[in-house]
Amino acid sequence: MNSFRVARAALRARPSALRLPIQPLQRRTYAEAVPDKARVLNQAQLVPPSSGTNLRRLRSTELGAVPRASGLSSIYTSQNVVQVNIPAESGEMGVLANHVPSIEQLKPGLIEVIEETGTSKQFFLSGGFATVQPNSSMSINAVEGYPLEDFSADAVRSQITEAQKVANGGGSEQDIAEAKIELEVLESLQAVLK
Amino acid sequence: MVFAWKAAGLTYNRYLAVASRVVRRSLKDDKRLIAERRGEMDLRFAKWENGKMGEPKNLADANAASMAKAAESGGSS
Repeated sequence: MNSFRVARAALRARPSALRLPIQPLQRRTYAEAVPDKARVLNQAQLVPPSSGTNLRRLRSTELGAVPRASGLSSIYTSQNVVQVNIPAESGEMGVLANHVPSIEQLKPGLIEVIEETGTSKQFFLSGGFATVQPNSSMSINAVEGYPLEDFSADAVRSQITEAQKVANGGGSEQDIAEAKIELEVLESLQAVLK
Repeated sequence: MVFAWKAAGLTYNRYLAVASRVVRRSLKDDKRLIAERRGEMDLRFAKWENGKMGEPKNLADANAASMAKAAESGGSS
């Protein structure tokens, strides 16, 4: 009891410079709760545009392909980008900094990331979701996503003929519906490969 | 807005799987071989009734069958 009082007095006597800063409330965020690999995806952080320039920027953007629960991989991570164009179900959109926070369902299509240097990176995603955070960060999740140069125009062409055959053939309703999905994806892929 | 695939009785999950499958098949050969392995799935399930295990079934086959059924009833209505 006595020693306790002494310790408290010692604490009070400490010069303020030595005192520990006030600890923030312990709060576990999603980014801390999920394992490392998934965290990469959530690191898409933040920031308002710097006050000096008119150039609005997103400090960080990330495209993640989520092929398997265990095989999550990140195909693009950037600290600063100017704009991201996404093919949302509600229409093509360009996202700048300070965009209204939103979640958009993506059509299979082209994602274009315009970096600060003016170069743009293009990826074709198979459909997924884009999340625009309130702090000017953005993350995009898709089942499959690859840069355009990884696609083979020949493979696309031969699959289009095949899918057209099934779509116009006398298969089951499900086969026809699936062939139509394939056609939609292949046609937008062919359009961007040109 | 009603999506064509939804009207045909497919689920969003199935739609995404079909779209992803076709994206994987469109890749150049080296990448395609690695990517296509991700599309493979083999799960079996069995229904237990009265303490006895029913017949084990392949999940993918059962899903396809129930979706085909949904597609037919969805198309006729």
